[in-house]
Amino acid sequence: MDLPLLSASFVAFALTLYVILDGFDLGVGILLLFQPAKVSRDHMVDSITPTWDGNETWIIMAGVTLLAAFPIAYSILLPAFYLPVILMLLALGFRGVSFEFRVQTTRHRRRWDVAFAVGSLVAAFMQGVIVGGLVQGVTVANQRFAGGVLNIVRPLPIISGVTLLFGYAVLGAGWLKLKSNPSVQHFASRSLRVAAPVFGVLFGIGCIYAFNIQPGIRSQWASHGTALSCLVVLFAVVAGTLTALTERGRPALPLFLGLCLFVVGISGMVLIVFPYVVPFSLSLWDAASSSTSQQFVLIGAAFVTPVVLAYSAFAYWIFRGRTPEKGWGE
Amino acid sequence: MRLDPSILARIQFAFTVSFHIIFPTMSIGLASFLAVIEALWLKTKDPLYLQIYKFWLSIFAMSFGIGVVTGIVLSFEFGLGFAPFANMAGPAIGSLIALEVLTAFFLEAGFLGIMLFGLHRVGPKLHFFATCMVAVGTLISASWILAANSWMQTPAGVEIRDSHLTVVNWRDVIVNPSWPYRLPHMLTAAYLTASFMVAGVGAWYLLRGKHQSFARRTVSLGTAFATVLIAGQVFIGDLVYGTMLKHQPSKMQAAEGFWEKQSQSPAPYYWFIIPDQTNQRNRFEAGIPYLGSIWLTHSLRGRVEGLRNTPRDRQPIMGVVFYAFRIMYGLAILMFTMGVVSLWLRFRGRLFSSRWFLWMLVFMTPSGIIATLAGWYVAETGRQPWVIYGMLRTVDAISPVPAQALLSTLIAFVCVYAVFISAFLIFTLHIIRRGPAAAPPHADASGSLKNAFRPHVLDNPARVVNRRIA
Repeated sequence: MDLPLLSASFVAFALTLYVILDGFDLGVGILLLFQPAKVSRDHMVDSITPTWDGNETWIIMAGVTLLAAFPIAYSILLPAFYLPVILMLLALGFRGVSFEFRVQTTRHRRRWDVAFAVGSLVAAFMQGVIVGGLVQGVTVANQRFAGGVLNIVRPLPIISGVTLLFGYAVLGAGWLKLKSNPSVQHFASRSLRVAAPVFGVLFGIGCIYAFNIQPGIRSQWASHGTALSCLVVLFAVVAGTLTALTERGRPALPLFLGLCLFVVGISGMVLIVFPYVVPFSLSLWDAASSSTSQQFVLIGAAFVTPVVLAYSAFAYWIFRGRTPEKGWGE
Repeated sequence: MRLDPSILARIQFAFTVSFHIIFPTMSIGLASFLAVIEALWLKTKDPLYLQIYKFWLSIFAMSFGIGVVTGIVLSFEFGLGFAPFANMAGPAIGSLIALEVLTAFFLEAGFLGIMLFGLHRVGPKLHFFATCMVAVGTLISASWILAANSWMQTPAGVEIRDSHLTVVNWRDVIVNPSWPYRLPHMLTAAYLTASFMVAGVGAWYLLRGKHQSFARRTVSLGTAFATVLIAGQVFIGDLVYGTMLKHQPSKMQAAEGFWEKQSQSPAPYYWFIIPDQTNQRNRFEAGIPYLGSIWLTHSLRGRVEGLRNTPRDRQPIMGVVFYAFRIMYGLAILMFTMGVVSLWLRFRGRLFSSRWFLWMLVFMTPSGIIATLAGWYVAETGRQPWVIYGMLRTVDAISPVPAQALLSTLIAFVCVYAVFISAFLIFTLHIIRRGPAAAPPHADASGSLKNAFRPHVLDNPARVVNRRIA
């Protein structure tokens, strides 16, 4: 059994779930910034309140699995992305506490809504910066991070940050189309009309730019050319469909298409990064911890993950259907 | 002035972890308290219990939320500030925390939504199940994280193979020498914290003459839990003391404030010292004669070992460990006294009318939090200069991040967390001032699992009104 490969797959699985699930939560948060009506903002937050905590937990899962199974990679990547990670954590903090604090006050709710929205926005942007920074490459010497903390302030991480911002906005709008009342659904459609094409175009620009500055990508393209070009075509088709169908179709369609975009994007990322865990310098087998740790985590994951997925799905199912006008509690 | 990255990384971790632990301490305690209260409600059908549940649920929700977002920070901070530590210890503690996430965090998160918002969507029985799952989640979480931290205090079950740490026995890693004692010590601390919070708020209402039935019930429950728990905690604390004395003598030597290899006989119990680490002596010391011998050696004239038994380069800073220990221990004595007094007053039927006692309870509201924090300072500063005791020194575990970056993020953390704690305090005081009446009960105790499958019935307001408890 190739344990490091299995562990890496589990990290990728957790990260994918995080991006998809917290993606629409963060997207709803970002869209909050453009929603002037207080009642609608309450409704938007209500739609994600009962399940956001579980969604966010997947990023911790990915992080600590990396720590357990690839400690060298963890100890290189976190110092390398020191600033964006800390800004992301602080932003996620603001977003998280705003869920609890905004309902405690009517007078200052607007302020907590701003904290919520800006927290979501900064967290999304920083996650994009980290993705861009990974593709751009991390300076490593003697299995330690040897670059500067400001290495990520370059065009590619910035483009990637803005792209992810719009990507999450697409997911958020898709979620709102599915879960909210007609007035917020209308707002979601308008948001999609802007966010979907911008996301598609930015994603394209990011890919072309990355291809030009990172020789690692060109060599990966040489070996997985067909698969990667299929993904590019698929992405373009889905993005086009999504842009064309913001008004028509079933309410679940935009979210579904948005999720497809992310799955395609993540698949492309996996094809480009694999078999590295620190892109283009450290392979996952070189970074793996001893097999006892891999086994411990993988056996735990094999038994517990199905249960986790089952009761998480149950929680979603309890809060299924349109969000009630006065929230879930009443 | 030249900034030292190792000092800054340590201050940043100390600050963020200290801030974090306040909230899990409250939410571990409150989650179990809420489970007990909901069980009592289901059993007795007394709406007062539902009122108590709803009141403390809103404070629990806030503390849980802050606990979650400040906890995520820690899971990345091992790498942000202490990359060499993460690289070395990852295979051991990373795996434990991974299992914590799988078995506890998801459980808490999955059922938290139902606990907070699901009462009349799923009915009381399934809702009670959700509360229990959240409470169990906090216990499982505490077990794993205490295993990870205890492994750093008393590492076992690993060996170093070609400069990489390899786990050879998972049982020894998890059930390391200090874990069986430190886990119940922390859990009892969390329960004590919740008990004193609950009793303190009730006492405040009694003093103000408000919400009488709510106040009487919570003061009674809070003091009863606290009395039983502190009696247990004194016993467990003694076991922890003995374990640490055996495995980490330097910590306990620093905690007692003696320098000489053997103290004078009989040894006093110091309450105030001015330690001079450079000259390995105290500039000033004051304590109660004989008590040190009696408490620490269980004899009248026994001698206590001082910090000079530990080589200088392996000594923790005595002042911090000593005073953190004194704060924890002093509060424990106070709590014990409160427990005994509450029993006496309860027996005399004056538990709700002795104003001086109620005032004491009000002042003791944050006592559990302060004692727990102080206890963690003993544990963590007393382990220094090691981050993994006997294996890795803290100074060798610092990330290659420049001091300026560490300083600016430290300032950012302080500012952001100041906002969090202020908002938490303001809103909590606001909830307390508003009182429990503002939490209207809206589900009776006779629900069944069926409701979970037919929530639309409950969404109908007319039906809900009929089901309300007046």
